[in-house]
Amino acid sequence: MNRIDQKLAQSSNVLSIYFTAGFPNLNDTVPTLINLEKSGVDLIEIGLPFSDPLADGPTIQASSTQALANGMSTQVLFDQLENIRASVQVPLIIMGYINPVLQYGVERFLQACQRIGIDGLILPDLPLEIYTSQYQELFEQYNIHLIQLITPQTSEARINAIDQVSKGFIYMVSTAATTGNTGVFSDEQQEYFKRIAAMNLKNKQLIGFGIHNKETFDCATNYQSGGIIGSDFVRYVSEHGIDHLEKYTKKYR
Amino acid sequence: MKIKVCGMRNPDNIEDISQLDIQFMGHIFYEKSVRNVTQKLPEKNGSHKRIGVFVNAPYEQILETVYFQSLDGVQLHGNEEVALLKKLHSAFPNLILIKTFSITANFNFEETLPYEGFAEYFLFDTHGLHPGGNGITFNWELLDQWQSRTPYILSGGIAMQHTHAIKQLKNKPDVLDINSKFESSAGIKNTALIQQFIQEMKSKYSADEAGFYGEFGGAFVPEMLYPNVQSLKESYKKLIQEPSFQEDYKKLLQDYVGRPTPLYFSKRLSAQYGAKIYLKREDLCHTGAHKINNTIGQILLAQRLGKKRIIAETGAGQHGVATATVCALMGLECVVYMGEIDMARQAPNVARMKMLGATVKPATSGSKTLKDATNEAIRDWIANPTDTFYIIGSVVGPAPYPEMVAEFQSVISEEIKKQLLEQEQRNTPDYVIACVGGGSNAAGAFYHFIEDESVQLIAAEAGGLGADTAHTAATTFRGTVGVIHGSKTLLMQTEDGQITEPYSISAGLDYPGVGPLHAHLFQTKRAKFFSINDDEALAAGLNLCKKDGIIPAIESSHALAVLEKMTFKKEDVVVVNLSGRGDKDLETYINYFGF
Ligand SMILES: Cc1ncc(COP(=O)(O)O)c(C=O)c1O
Repeated sequence: MNRIDQKLAQSSNVLSIYFTAGFPNLNDTVPTLINLEKSGVDLIEIGLPFSDPLADGPTIQASSTQALANGMSTQVLFDQLENIRASVQVPLIIMGYINPVLQYGVERFLQACQRIGIDGLILPDLPLEIYTSQYQELFEQYNIHLIQLITPQTSEARINAIDQVSKGFIYMVSTAATTGNTGVFSDEQQEYFKRIAAMNLKNKQLIGFGIHNKETFDCATNYQSGGIIGSDFVRYVSEHGIDHLEKYTKKYR
Repeated sequence: MKIKVCGMRNPDNIEDISQLDIQFMGHIFYEKSVRNVTQKLPEKNGSHKRIGVFVNAPYEQILETVYFQSLDGVQLHGNEEVALLKKLHSAFPNLILIKTFSITANFNFEETLPYEGFAEYFLFDTHGLHPGGNGITFNWELLDQWQSRTPYILSGGIAMQHTHAIKQLKNKPDVLDINSKFESSAGIKNTALIQQFIQEMKSKYSADEAGFYGEFGGAFVPEMLYPNVQSLKESYKKLIQEPSFQEDYKKLLQDYVGRPTPLYFSKRLSAQYGAKIYLKREDLCHTGAHKINNTIGQILLAQRLGKKRIIAETGAGQHGVATATVCALMGLECVVYMGEIDMARQAPNVARMKMLGATVKPATSGSKTLKDATNEAIRDWIANPTDTFYIIGSVVGPAPYPEMVAEFQSVISEEIKKQLLEQEQRNTPDYVIACVGGGSNAAGAFYHFIEDESVQLIAAEAGGLGADTAHTAATTFRGTVGVIHGSKTLLMQTEDGQITEPYSISAGLDYPGVGPLHAHLFQTKRAKFFSINDDEALAAGLNLCKKDGIIPAIESSHALAVLEKMTFKKEDVVVVNLSGRGDKDLETYINYFGF
């Protein structure tokens, strides 16, 4: 069984953290993973940096630019992760953009993920139609889940179509925005959380974009199975480094 | 080519055929026809035009039927006189008038002359026992003798087996009229067969349903943008076919942009290069470049979609200015994203945009140039999904943008065709040459010639300091297949898939990708690509100043420089698309030549 499915079967308040591979320093990737697991995180998204990250806000883009300048690349990331399963057990997802994956070769990329023990991918600019018509079979062959996004604007019919094709969980984007918002969740957003919960989808959902404190995390786990934190964590490590991540994660629990 | 399905009468069948991508549906009002319509037609559902077919019917009967059946047009299939067309036109100025001629082996095409200017289309049908619907083709070679300002509809016995022959016609019809060969019984059309015909007639150079030109294109957008892109895709074709849209668009192009732009025969360039060299003067458009053809089209769309706020990206500032201009014209809020570095390089255009009331927002991420400005614009669109319309400046971005922008720019080749007919008594050139940044002026200049393989399409890319150096924007030479700004195409990138920063002295060609249509034209070898270095372009630009008294944009100078690299025959007709004027580039010219 895929580790993501196992985790979601056990837990209903999954704390998921995104970080950019090779940031702040090139070789921080593995220690960040180890320290995040130690600090009680349930699921980790490893950001594969891209020069033109359309769906990300300024914080994550800046960290990606830095990581690339540090020398991060697809091959470097796979090399760093080669023995990661000897030390880290939580489900791991690589989040990136389709172009670097295409250049590496989709099948070769999936092979590397399977060998290393990566459980899923998030590729925001690989839309449902192109995934199903061109890549779904390959993903299934290597048992790598493609996690798909929905937003407050996604129609009910399309949510159902995405639910049919999705594996692992559905990534609920909390708002019409790129990553990095820092307010509270509005009534309107909470209505959206409720509306999706009431659809009784086949896949569980995690909420991302805009989670940055206990209040927003709890709100996300009210109706859904957990929350994903990105920009706030990236901002934290750029200021405090990666050594004492339990200091960061305790604010959510 | 457009499709007209004729002889429709059964309501369910009308409904089914309405779902297909057809442009006209014909209904026969002639008692002697087996397909005669005797009842009120169902409410029209679909964007096609409803045409009534009459054979020597009296004026009053036609008039009544137009009202009663809500016809968009009338096809006169008998021996009607010009006077009747005039009378119908004054009664219904918007009514599409089609005049039929039955073609015999010795048909004299001069018979069509009196109708010229009064019919929107001529329809050529086979002469036979009946006034139409004989189910046989005529000798299509006869059409080669005929030249006219009026486009024509090919009719008479067209069947599935004719797709190849139609594509080979020298004098191509605008519309194909299909009828009896697509029926399962009289008046009942076979939907699947017509669908197959439409598919086969589609060009291999146009985008498919999902927005792919061959391997290239598509909409690689995050889910946040899906509803926007999807609703644009579903609505734009219908909206731009509406008569009110066409009327507004054409009127603005004429009165505001200053179209048609001249097709200017350059005597001295012709002497220099040993061919007939024509310049398509897009530099004379309002705001100084072709970019405004597209922004006029998109702002009219935005209005009709009820959007309140316009965003755009710009590199050199030309598209930004063209967008700010139409926003001022329509009174809409305008935000233009521009790379911080470009803002410093192109300060006069920043000032122009501000004078026009736009807000210019610097893109400070990544390389701080056009590609980053595009990223910022897309992010803005993600954050403002309901009230904002994104006006993209070239044939790039997710489908349907490349197709839509090409369509708005296609007015360039539409005019070239007409102008060549007047000046050269032929409606196609031997060569069309245009520069390619994203590829919008080239797409517009190529558009109506793409199907006709006798026209050589030539694209000029910015070689920068040399296509084999690191300082280049020669995308087809140096690029590889990837995804940029929501579209699969050729782009400049590292082995690892990171998009790299291109270089050209011309800010408008300084883009790391190329539109998917051009990637396809390159890959299929339909267009030939030249890489023009900075010095070659500047020399060609200065040459035009000296020879013709025209200071071209440096982008356009790249197209002019191709003339140096070609050998022509004396009688070759060559059209160079002069995409913009050079005022914005004075400083670059001055610094380079040290005036
Ligand atoms: C005068 C002129 N020509 C050409 C271009 C290149 O764009 P495209 O390839 O879309 O025509 C630009 C872009 O700014 C321009 O200003």
